[in-house]
Amino acid sequence: MIGKLKVYADRMSQPCRAVLIFCRLNGIDFEEIKVDISKRHHLSPEFTEVNPLQKVPAILHGNLNLFESHAILVYLSSAFPGIADHWYPTDVFKRAKVNSVLDWHHSNLRYGEVNYVSNTVLGPALGRPLNPKAAAEAEKVLLSSLSKLENIWLNGDGRFLLGNFQPSIADLSLVCELTQLEVLDEKDRSRILSPYKKVVGWIEDTRTATNPHFEEVHNILYRAKKKFQQQRSRIAESGTETSNNMGRHSKM
Amino acid sequence: MMGKLNAYVDRMSQPCRAILIFCRLNGIDFEEIKVDIAKSHHLSPEFTEVNPLQKVPAILHGNLNLFESHAILAYLSSAFPGIADHWYPTDVIRRAKINSILDWHHSNLRYGAEIYVTNTVLGPAIGRPRNPKAAAEAEKVLLSSLSKLENIWLNGDGRFLLGSFQPSIADLSLVCELTQLEVLDEMDRGRILSPYKKVLGWIEDTRTATNPYFEEMHNILYRAKKKFQQQRSRIAESGTETTNNRGRHSKM
Repeated sequence: MIGKLKVYADRMSQPCRAVLIFCRLNGIDFEEIKVDISKRHHLSPEFTEVNPLQKVPAILHGNLNLFESHAILVYLSSAFPGIADHWYPTDVFKRAKVNSVLDWHHSNLRYGEVNYVSNTVLGPALGRPLNPKAAAEAEKVLLSSLSKLENIWLNGDGRFLLGNFQPSIADLSLVCELTQLEVLDEKDRSRILSPYKKVVGWIEDTRTATNPHFEEVHNILYRAKKKFQQQRSRIAESGTETSNNMGRHSKM
Repeated sequence: MMGKLNAYVDRMSQPCRAILIFCRLNGIDFEEIKVDIAKSHHLSPEFTEVNPLQKVPAILHGNLNLFESHAILAYLSSAFPGIADHWYPTDVIRRAKINSILDWHHSNLRYGAEIYVTNTVLGPAIGRPRNPKAAAEAEKVLLSSLSKLENIWLNGDGRFLLGSFQPSIADLSLVCELTQLEVLDEMDRGRILSPYKKVLGWIEDTRTATNPYFEEMHNILYRAKKKFQQQRSRIAESGTETTNNRGRHSKM
């Protein structure tokens, strides 16, 4: 009997959320160990022993230590009994197709989303400078990826990726990437997402198919969203106060 | 009996070479269909039907059209009889480890190597402007990736990735990425690679394990390397002639 599964995760991390939702939904017995990236816990000696690449998510299962979220999701699908086939089909063709969108994700949707959100909201929140040029380039990749999701990957009879009728680990991984856009200014987020009707519908369908675990695992992100909204409101209000002060001075 | 395998490739493309070497080495019966990227063949309507993402490599096998080289390599390992297990082990734990390095590759070695080579040699060769800033940033990622290969991924008793005694599809994929550095100026390539002794040894071991097919699939790249070397020599020589002419004029 292998030891209990340990999942090293930060719920602000998109791939961590996908792994946590998958475990909860499939009744996998595991211990969640929080690795707080904003406090640099991922650089600690203890965590570096778990993952020398110092990234989350990572898992320990008996003698196996494993990192990279797609490898983890595939492993969990295969190593635990009773996981429904649609998550990672045993059929060689269906599996190949799921693998291809998982591969495509790294350099496309993930790259565009991470760099856009880092360079507009999350980076500054961790003390990094705003980088409008990098944000603009990342936005191009993000929009191109959304277009390919809308017109290619979501083609077919079903409501999930590759025209499937039920979600796979690819749906979970990519939708958890897109929820990170929640921290953006609401107008910005809407400007980016709203042209892609199929994508917006697919995010909802994946959420529905994996609730209540989806919502629960996303609570930290929603709290962060609220915090950023309040910060933006305060900045907007103090901008107005400054104008009033200047007006009063000029009358003297 | 499924239809014959069609592989749509350009041998100047790193992931294409990995697929071709794998097929030849394993005696897979297939037809190689050249898609010349330099001539924009990947944008043709015929190829877009094979792969709507317009990228190589792509395969057609019966009713299956498949793209993304790692998904293709995994599929070929599973779909054809008699492929030795070490290429993509059926053992869940060993397979998970290989999946993790295949995943890591996209945003690390591939990202760094591809962008560095594009912004220094291959981009200008097809008319794109040089971008020293992008090259410098890509070089950081490339060197960091080489360091992780040297110190983490090549740890273990065997000579291949993950300490294995025989190569997997991960060795083939990553080594074919690194051979692209052949087109660089020899001093530049030496500067980048020579600190990484294990990496250099591993490239040779992978080459040896997959010859003569490795050399054969790299012939086009070696010819391109020669062409770039000759161009660099001509530029260097014409620089010297210009100085001589100015000397003669100033004496008049």
